[in-house]
Amino acid sequence: MAEQQGHHGASIAPHEIFSLDVPGIGDVPVTNTLFSSWLAMGVLLIVAYLATRRMSLVPSGLQNVVEAIIEQFLRMAEQTAGPKRGRRFLPLVATSFLFILVANWMGILPGYAEGQTPWLRSANSDLNITAAMAIVVFFWVQVSAIRAMGVVHYLKEFLVPLPLLHLFTELGKPVSLALRLFGNIFAGEILIGMMSSLVPFVIPAVFLLFEMFVGVVQALIFAMLTMAFLTIVTEHEHEHEEGAHGHAEASHG
Amino acid sequence: MPEFTPLAAGLAIGLGALGPGLGIGFGVGKAMEAIGRNPEASGNMFLPMIIGLAFAEAVAIYALVVAFLLFGAIGG
Repeated sequence: MAEQQGHHGASIAPHEIFSLDVPGIGDVPVTNTLFSSWLAMGVLLIVAYLATRRMSLVPSGLQNVVEAIIEQFLRMAEQTAGPKRGRRFLPLVATSFLFILVANWMGILPGYAEGQTPWLRSANSDLNITAAMAIVVFFWVQVSAIRAMGVVHYLKEFLVPLPLLHLFTELGKPVSLALRLFGNIFAGEILIGMMSSLVPFVIPAVFLLFEMFVGVVQALIFAMLTMAFLTIVTEHEHEHEEGAHGHAEASHG
Repeated sequence: MPEFTPLAAGLAIGLGALGPGLGIGFGVGKAMEAIGRNPEASGNMFLPMIIGLAFAEAVAIYALVVAFLLFGAIGG
């Protein structure tokens, strides 16, 4: 019993469940976490298809729900980054939020991380997947920085006021993004595994509820930190283009 | 001295959680104080507070990852 429920989760490395023969590359090992991330993407794609299948100007049903979520995000983005940049950052920020949220919530469904070699395991309990998302954010931020302040100014940032200081803070951002998400979800998985092998009655339900809360908070943190990094590096462009508007807003606040 | 590795794992997360615990406590305490002074602004405080807490929490997560790595080294 304990063998089935508790101890398998303690391994950081995910299990390889099958390998895919990709032409031109060769055998690509597919782990259970990668498979689960595909399922999460599938769920998002299906919801997106169903919500936009019969679009109408006066939304109803699923379209209404999805529009409410996106509008909430748009409001948050415009509040943080201003109306123009908010709309530009919205796709990356909202997509990472929705993917992480769906993956986290699917990860606590029954069937995930059960048995010796589970076919399903919460996608974000694999450091490879969280690191992949963090690397995407890292390059997006760097390219936005170069586009916003020009190559010369961008390179100057690395030398002034102290050489290397800026480099380490920039490299620390993706590392902490990846490790935070991975650590939270992986620890939650082990916690639930342990609790359901120690007290397999009522008590795990409390932790499942807590993990749902952790899932939404971690998704929000990943998305909002992405937004904050993007906003900070494009601040120069903001002052340049919307200078008068920004000052007027600042004096209001 | 591989027999001390479990102790190292326990100390890593135990001491590593100390600082972030204090940091999160101070942070939320100040946020509660601010909400008490100005309850209407609680909606505006939520997001900056969560982002600040995420930075404090990240340190505890590093300690947790180190503890897991140590635990994995002894075949837990």
